[in-house]
Amino acid sequence: MTLPWVTGSFSRMKHARLWVGFISLSLLFSAACTSKPKEELPNTLRLAQRGKVKGLDPIYADDTYAGEEVSRAYEGLLQFHYLKRPYVLIPALAEAMPEVSKDRLTFTFKIKKGVLFHDDASFKDTGGKGRELTAEDFVYSFKRLADPKLISTGWWLLDGKIAGLNEWRQDAQKKGVADYAAPVSGLKASDRYTLEIKLLSRAPSFLYSLAMPFTSVVAREAVESYGKDFLNHAVGTGPFRLMEFSSNSRLIWAKNPTYRQETYPSEGEQGDKEAGLLADAGQPLPRADRIEVQVYVEDQPMWLTFLSGKLDLSAIPKDNFQQAITPGKELSRDLSEQGVRLVKSPMLDVTHYTFNMSDPVVGKNKYLRQAMSLVYDSGPLIELFYNGRALAAQGPIPPGLSGHDPKFRNPYRQFNIGKAKELMVKAGYPGGQGLPPLTYITTAGSTERQMTEYAVRVFDTIGVKLQIEAFSWPEFQQAVRNRKGQIWSFAWNADYPDAENFLQLFYSKNASPGPNDSNYSNPEYDRLYEKSLGLPDGAERTAVYRQMVNLLVEDCPWIFGVHRIAFGLVQPWVKNYKRSDFHGASKYYRVEREK
Amino acid sequence: MFAYVVRKLLNTIPTLLGVWIVIFVLFNVIGGDPTYIMLGKHATPELIADVRAEYGYDQPMLKQFFRYLGETVTFNWGDSRATRQPIATMIHDGLGPSLTLTVPAFLVTTVFSVLMGLLVAYFRGRWIDRIVVIGCVIGMSVPMLAFILFGQYFLAYKMGLFPIHGFDPAWPERFHHILLPALIWVVVSLGYNVRFYRTALVEEVGQDYIRTARAKGLGELPVFLKHVLKNGMVPILTNIVIEIPMLVLGSFLLESFFGIPGIGGITIAAINNSDFPVIRAMTTLVAMLFIAGNLATDILYTLVDPRVRLK
Repeated sequence: MTLPWVTGSFSRMKHARLWVGFISLSLLFSAACTSKPKEELPNTLRLAQRGKVKGLDPIYADDTYAGEEVSRAYEGLLQFHYLKRPYVLIPALAEAMPEVSKDRLTFTFKIKKGVLFHDDASFKDTGGKGRELTAEDFVYSFKRLADPKLISTGWWLLDGKIAGLNEWRQDAQKKGVADYAAPVSGLKASDRYTLEIKLLSRAPSFLYSLAMPFTSVVAREAVESYGKDFLNHAVGTGPFRLMEFSSNSRLIWAKNPTYRQETYPSEGEQGDKEAGLLADAGQPLPRADRIEVQVYVEDQPMWLTFLSGKLDLSAIPKDNFQQAITPGKELSRDLSEQGVRLVKSPMLDVTHYTFNMSDPVVGKNKYLRQAMSLVYDSGPLIELFYNGRALAAQGPIPPGLSGHDPKFRNPYRQFNIGKAKELMVKAGYPGGQGLPPLTYITTAGSTERQMTEYAVRVFDTIGVKLQIEAFSWPEFQQAVRNRKGQIWSFAWNADYPDAENFLQLFYSKNASPGPNDSNYSNPEYDRLYEKSLGLPDGAERTAVYRQMVNLLVEDCPWIFGVHRIAFGLVQPWVKNYKRSDFHGASKYYRVEREK
Repeated sequence: MFAYVVRKLLNTIPTLLGVWIVIFVLFNVIGGDPTYIMLGKHATPELIADVRAEYGYDQPMLKQFFRYLGETVTFNWGDSRATRQPIATMIHDGLGPSLTLTVPAFLVTTVFSVLMGLLVAYFRGRWIDRIVVIGCVIGMSVPMLAFILFGQYFLAYKMGLFPIHGFDPAWPERFHHILLPALIWVVVSLGYNVRFYRTALVEEVGQDYIRTARAKGLGELPVFLKHVLKNGMVPILTNIVIEIPMLVLGSFLLESFFGIPGIGGITIAAINNSDFPVIRAMTTLVAMLFIAGNLATDILYTLVDPRVRLK
């Protein structure tokens, strides 16, 4: 065979090889073009993660993405009821809610019997079959959270709370290695199925910690067998088993065939029955056979995949909001006709501008802070940056938590430029005269830039000038923790459904580099905060919370921004979907595609 | 040649040292502290101090530099500060997807660009040449993001010709997923490459020896394939070989938009998180590949042009 246009030194053999190569390449590409995605099970959920999943070790599950994925494979003692609101704690691996001692310091948990870890090669004694969970596994898992070498991001949950645990940690620090055999007085497996936890002081929010991914139980065999690679494996007792994990691409989960007997809830809140959320009551969990999670770093591909019906749940990207939602904040006709459902639910969060209270200018001048708060109008902010998906925040506690008063109106959050100008006079800066530009620190993203421009314009109306300093995210965090800058924007999402999680942000002992980054310090506030820690959830504690909020309103260490409202889209074939602020809801979802 | 290679390799030492110093200063003196990323929103002074001690961030800068240098030259990359994954594993896992995208795209781009370069050099000054040059300028002017948005919306979503997003590590499914990003890579790269190769080849077409070949009665195709192409290969080869090390880096934009778990995404995430150990590993890797690429180019010159001698 000779190509007509080639002459000279190429041999016939070379031509033949060229042709073979060319044909092989063509075949490979045509195979690639025609290869179809693998057959998927009918009850397969296809979910999106909007960020990379950095690992599956529970002690590092400090972001939404890792937390959600960890909760598919791992479980803790407690969990949140899927349907009830406000959120209610119920047992997960605990047989029942704990027995609490009279002094409310000791919690005794009975562990469910017969719960098995996922089958895994690390269980050598059982030939790869998952062994039974015991109370000792919790002791080990909590110690792991405290192990200084592991630098867990969840240690704050137990720090200073369990008797003897901090001493165990200090001992490990001194010796350079943790001794897991050493006892901890407040953490004891009194028998195979009984776990006793003794607290140092009363902490009603402690039980919430036991429903967070950080405190999930892990098997020592798996941790030791995989070593550093443990974070790429998932050997828990949870409803799904890990089949494939690529931290920045996708995760595949399959129903755990040895999952304990747990059923779909048979009661919820008002309206759940009408919404079809109780149709599966009493059915065994998990409801789905398989979950395919795709990581979407960018919004456009996620949105297009949802529109093409290959993604089951989706948030609405800012740029696609008008395509999906009408001006009346309802679902567009196109999507409604496809059977897509819009689910709106308020989030447990608050956005805010933080004043650096340790700064001699803004920190010492209450009138200046109040004036700036008065002029920062939430209305345009909500429309411009949240597409109307937010409520103006009047204080730090979001709706849905004890202590939030829906009737309360913060006097310094009602837009009033006249009053703001009067306060500027009282502050000693009439019309902003004599006030040096305030250093406003921010991150360098496009939305942050737009919000900064908005802030510059708003504060300029009362003569307050901002000097902008933009940083990368780590630099920004460093600046905040090191008390640089005078004002910045931030948001706080609830770790657990208790107002204490928001109010601790103003406790002086949590000042920077702790979570109280405004460095607010008010002895009266501290006293009330400490008092609230010893009170159970109820009217008395709520009254204390309100006093604390009143102090914050008057002192104005933050300009309260908004509580966001989540708008989610659900494909018609997804059953039992109800938005949750916490992890672990996917075991309730089911897929029922029309045949 | 051996002495030349050794000398070249020795010359890389100051280059690498310079790269390492710049990276160290940029991320240790100017950049943010990864401690805060590691500890999250509940960092306490005690925890911060523990982490800084654990990773030696509390030591004098000079001591940190020498430790860093020691780890670098021994290829002891360690773990990522942001993800805690072993960096060697991250590179190993990212390399396959990145190369799956970049190697076929690069090969197609190279073959197509050289052929187009030859074609327009042959038809230089005529309408084909003008159309191709205009096309190249347009291709070079439109950012890759525009091609991605267009391709994803029209070719993948509207027409259903390609998957919108995702990556399947299985063979040959992985090719199914990289077809669209690879096509975008080819389209974006063609503009620059075709123009560059055309210039290199047109320059050869005007040489005396080409006139001589034609005067001998040699046909146009043999003239182009045997003489123009062979002699135009030196700049073409330089361009090609310099691009090869960069293939390892993948493409951040394509990887982000198409969900390809490659090196590009890892590198950008590391920069955003001030994840110094990962950045160090990546920059060292790229610098070494770049140097190796340059060395390979020098050696290849001798093969395509016997007049070139390595001294």
